[in-house]
Amino acid sequence: MAGTVPSGIDEISLLPGSHVCAFYRGDADRDRLLSGYLGAGLAAGDKCICVVDSELTAKRLQSLTRSAGRPGYAGRQLDIHLPESTYLAGGEFTTSHMLTFWTEGMLKAEHEGYSFFRLAGEMTWALRDEPGVENLIGYESELNRVTSSNPVVVLCLYDLDLFSGQIVINVIKTHPQVLVRGVLVENPYYVGPDEFLRSASG
Amino acid sequence: MTAEPMMPDPAAGARGSARPAAVADENLRARLGEFRALLVISLLMTESVSEDQILDLAASSAPGLGPWRIDGYSFTDGLWRSGFGHAGSAPGGLAGRLAALGSGGGRVELPGRAWAWAFPLRGTNSLLGHLIASCDREPSAQERFGIQVIAQQAGVAVANARLHARECATAAELAAANAALAETVASLRRTMDIHERLTQVAVSGAGQPGIARALHELTGMPVAIEDRYGNLSAWAGPGRADPYPKESFAKREQLLRRLMRDAKPVRDGERLCVLASPRSDVIGVLALIDPGRRAGGPDLVALEHGATVLSMELARLRGIADTELRLRRDLVRDLLSGTDDDSALIRAEALDYDLRRPHRVVLVAGKGRARAQDALLHAVRRALRQARQTGLCETWSGQVAVVTAGQADWEQVSRAVAADLDGPCHIGVGGPAARPSELSRSLREAGLAQRLQQTLLHGSGACDYPKLGIFRLLAGMSDLTDVNAFVREWLGRLIDYDTRRKAELVHTLTQYLEHGGNYDATAAELSVHKSTLKYRLQRIRDLTGLELNDPDVHFNLQLATRAWGTLKALYDQS
Repeated sequence: MAGTVPSGIDEISLLPGSHVCAFYRGDADRDRLLSGYLGAGLAAGDKCICVVDSELTAKRLQSLTRSAGRPGYAGRQLDIHLPESTYLAGGEFTTSHMLTFWTEGMLKAEHEGYSFFRLAGEMTWALRDEPGVENLIGYESELNRVTSSNPVVVLCLYDLDLFSGQIVINVIKTHPQVLVRGVLVENPYYVGPDEFLRSASG
Repeated sequence: MTAEPMMPDPAAGARGSARPAAVADENLRARLGEFRALLVISLLMTESVSEDQILDLAASSAPGLGPWRIDGYSFTDGLWRSGFGHAGSAPGGLAGRLAALGSGGGRVELPGRAWAWAFPLRGTNSLLGHLIASCDREPSAQERFGIQVIAQQAGVAVANARLHARECATAAELAAANAALAETVASLRRTMDIHERLTQVAVSGAGQPGIARALHELTGMPVAIEDRYGNLSAWAGPGRADPYPKESFAKREQLLRRLMRDAKPVRDGERLCVLASPRSDVIGVLALIDPGRRAGGPDLVALEHGATVLSMELARLRGIADTELRLRRDLVRDLLSGTDDDSALIRAEALDYDLRRPHRVVLVAGKGRARAQDALLHAVRRALRQARQTGLCETWSGQVAVVTAGQADWEQVSRAVAADLDGPCHIGVGGPAARPSELSRSLREAGLAQRLQQTLLHGSGACDYPKLGIFRLLAGMSDLTDVNAFVREWLGRLIDYDTRRKAELVHTLTQYLEHGGNYDATAAELSVHKSTLKYRLQRIRDLTGLELNDPDVHFNLQLATRAWGTLKALYDQS
């Protein structure tokens, strides 16, 4: 497909600006998705920014830069963060802070010479008992605004063993694309950020 | 988990709008978005192989599709599972209502709920049960549609999961059966290898060392083969003790009794032992040296099969020994009875015995306390071994005949046999036979010498026929009429007296003359008191009227007694 980028997962291609919600079961499935997705980005010379839920997962992903990173770019090609410094920085979740985090990350990478960005977030943090986590769905909706205006693809990862069916349904409603067991389900009727804000305020 | 993030209702947000067309469009988009969500939930349920995962996902999805709560699942097998995953009892009266509904769905009553509905959970061609959902109010048809789809998809997914579980169970059973079969095949193959290896040993003639070596190679453990007394017959592997330890007789007998009783490998300290006994009088013990007690099933199979092969080997060895013994016995009997030279030489050669040298027959008579004939034979063999003599030994008319090429000190052999038997021993040595066919003549000479020794000469001892002197001269006469007459002339009255009175005057006179008229020696030889001897001698003087001290009388009487002994021996022989 012209203008698409390889997702690195099950031969699926993505259009720039894609915001994909991926459902998986267990750590092995998550690692398969993340390593394929980020590996493809590293091989293509993309700036990859990733938030994972544990140090162990972060260490595993670090090895990807050694095996797939493209030499010659300034700075680290793969940035890996934990929720404590991103989603839950300051002890609570706020949509604006997190959107700023992604935007500034992309700006910084652009200055470093990267022309395409690949973002990933393991969403398990939303199950913690922290202030603001109830705004997850609104955040996912707002993120569509960021992705639609940047040379970026975003992968949000949800563990089906942990998230309830209700969250799954709401996540699907706010994501234009859903990745389930190797199948990319398009959702042209997703709830856009303006619509979401209007509904929420109503 | 924290509170579920809720999705705002876009339709509600738009209700205040003055644009009905836009509201309708947003409603439609919301419905279409919901269908996408249902599609994904269906995909997730279908791909799951866990019934619990499917039912949990269905139950937790319901609030995302409207004002729903899934209260639980009632299955046709009577089981109830709540929407939160707990097993338990269905609400009262529900079971009867569901039975009435059959495979369809319908309204049900739940305590505290305004409205409740049973949606059928259908598999591919059967009803699995019902999904029980409830609302605080009666839902719209549109709202009902979503939960109906969830129930249908959950039914199909559960049916698939159950089918998958059955297939997994079947596959696991097949895998277990295959594993068991593979184990059996491997075990059989190993058993076949053991049989093949030990059978090769059995037919190769490698004997007991070969059996021990093969068993050591099969088990990796040192192997010992012992005879019934615990003597080491063969060893294979490291760690052989030198000298080889031998347990006490009582302990050995105890082990043999256990082995006979159990008829299988028995642990004896650091060893695993098994009995090899092809017949009651042939016993061997095969032992695996296993101090670590690590011998497994295959090792026991190898040990037991090794015992079978050892039994065959012991039977073969005993068979060879028995055959050789029988052939030797037959040869000796034929040599003594008279046989042709060629046949005797060939048979002797087959037994690896050189019969071409001049041989003679030696006859040994003796009597022990028990099992006289066997005891005498064994005593003679032992005495010959001590005297470093070789020869063919066999029992012969209650005596033992030895066919030998050696020239032993037969007096010494006689003393050894007498000591062994704790009784008298009389040996007669025949003259040399240049050819096997002459051995029957040597036997006759040995017999004569042995009888003369027994009747005329004093005590245990040996009598060599070639050295018999006057006896040999008398025995060699073809016509004994004059000898008989001479004996009757000098000893007739004494012979008649002995016959009439069952006395021993001739024997007393013989011993008196053979001992040169010495009273003490004669009395000792006859085992009588000296006064008894003197009485008998006086009786002899009275009956014969002869003066024993007269040199001429003495000579004739000694000649007559020797002739009497010779005649007696000849008559006994005939």
